[in-house]
Amino acid sequence: MYLIGEFREKDAVRSAIQMLRAGGLSCADLDLFSEEPAEFPPGLLDRPSRMSLVAVAGAILFGLLSTAFVYWTQHNYRLVTGGMPVFSFWATGVITYEMTMLGAIVAVFGWFLWESGLIRRRDKSAPVPQVRPGSMALRVRCHAEQAARASEAMSRAGAIGVARRGES
Amino acid sequence: MATAPELLPYSRIRQDLFRPLAGISRNYLLATLAALTVGAAGLLAWGYQLHRGMGVTGLQRPVFWGLYIVDFVFWIGISHAGTLISAILRLTDATWRKPITRAAEAITVFALAIGAMFPIIHLGRAWLFYWLLPYPNARMIWPNFRSPLLWDLTAIVTYMTGSTIYLYLPMIPDMAQLAEHNTRWRRVLYGALSLGWTGSDREWLALGRAIKLMACLILAVAVSVHTVVAWDFSMALAPMWHSTIFGPYFVAGAIFSGIAALVVVMAALRKVLHLELYLTRRHFNNLAKLLLLMSLLWFYFTMAENLTVWYGNEPKEMAVFGARTRAHYAPYFWATVILNFVVPLVLLGVRRLRTIATATMASVCVLVGMWLERFVIVVPTLANPRLAAAASLYTPTWVEVAITAATFAAMGMMYLVFSKLFPIIAVWEFKPHEQEEA
Repeated sequence: MYLIGEFREKDAVRSAIQMLRAGGLSCADLDLFSEEPAEFPPGLLDRPSRMSLVAVAGAILFGLLSTAFVYWTQHNYRLVTGGMPVFSFWATGVITYEMTMLGAIVAVFGWFLWESGLIRRRDKSAPVPQVRPGSMALRVRCHAEQAARASEAMSRAGAIGVARRGES
Repeated sequence: MATAPELLPYSRIRQDLFRPLAGISRNYLLATLAALTVGAAGLLAWGYQLHRGMGVTGLQRPVFWGLYIVDFVFWIGISHAGTLISAILRLTDATWRKPITRAAEAITVFALAIGAMFPIIHLGRAWLFYWLLPYPNARMIWPNFRSPLLWDLTAIVTYMTGSTIYLYLPMIPDMAQLAEHNTRWRRVLYGALSLGWTGSDREWLALGRAIKLMACLILAVAVSVHTVVAWDFSMALAPMWHSTIFGPYFVAGAIFSGIAALVVVMAALRKVLHLELYLTRRHFNNLAKLLLLMSLLWFYFTMAENLTVWYGNEPKEMAVFGARTRAHYAPYFWATVILNFVVPLVLLGVRRLRTIATATMASVCVLVGMWLERFVIVVPTLANPRLAAAASLYTPTWVEVAITAATFAAMGMMYLVFSKLFPIIAVWEFKPHEQEEA
């Protein structure tokens, strides 16, 4: 089931998250909805990211593929070059560089879509709270037996309202 | 004294910045009509060129590159506004950048789209443009990847992809807001483009990381793109092209013209969309200082390039140098020096003279000056080849002029459409943050 707490103050959200975490809930159970990016101290609501790593991997992959593509296509037809190399890494370095960067760009965008959850198959039962201007909504996924404690924690932290959703 | 926009209520900011999307004024219609007319004239001229062949242009031996390549280099240069200004300011966390980044990023995408058209227009038989693509021909020979033409293609494709994503990413939260309360077709449009954005912390964190990484990547790509454009010239053993400083010289010129374009666009948006509260004197002042810095850098490169040639006194180089500075092309060359260096130095260097109006005037001068600079780089070298007997003059025809004018109209047209569909200032970035309020 889900609890949705509405907050006006960022400090109140911070306290609520601290209490909920202390009560045994993990970061994966908590989602904060807001009209602006909300930053918290490290360790509070961490979302580890592999975006930089994926960007490097994408760059290496595209760089290698483009170099291989240029190499094999230039060797595909036996041109008479008078002893000059058919494939010159320096002369095709621009292509390799640009394709390497393209790989990183595509990887960043793709990973953004994945990591943000925009293209991942979402849990349809998870309610998406309507965030009113100037407020933030904390969505908590918990078992029914944890709900009362979680609700109380959010109220104590300063939630202006706590609603229950998705009870079965 | 005007209130700093960060201190305004968020509802007011949203109202101010979403307002230009609704309704179409008479002036907007007139501007659109004017842009369409000039654009249509350019399309007709291109159609005439396609029908009659490249003979209708002023291009002939030995000047094979004329206005089209000048326009190509100019527009690719303008495209550096968004990426460099926006990316550098984002990475350095300059808070004053907020109202100008989207306008700059949009310039990049539009200018790049226009610039990328010119190699195709210049091909003559434009319908064979796909020969540039990497696929084998009937004899199973693949394109020559050592050709600068292929370098341009890959560089522009990469830059276009990157800058479009870089423009799109920060627009997602705004489009999600716009999808909430709007007319039906707009709801569908913004809903599709915002990809179901909900404003969760996972989305915000991923967006922040992606924008930061894209800023780093796009910087590297932007520098490489204009370096590759410069190498189109400097890899040729032509007098006054075969220069090692052409890469940085072109990149500096691109940033220079990009900033000028941004100032002009900002001044127009400020006036037309009534954004006086958001595009303030502070923004113009900061950009004017950057413009002045780039003007000095441009002059330094121009001096370094020309002084070296003059001191070397190599006959073939001196023929081009003479054509540029004393003969047929001298008015253009000296106009570039006045417009790109003297005018900005006077208008922007003197603090008391530095206003929004003078910054805009100086920027217009720089845009004209930078277009002329591209002309002075491209044409005199080709008109004075190593074989002196082949020297010739180049005069563009009405076809080339009409197509060139159409590109400026196209830029205006794209901006008009963009400003009616999307907020020209990132609304979510304007939301007051705690540290700023403090």
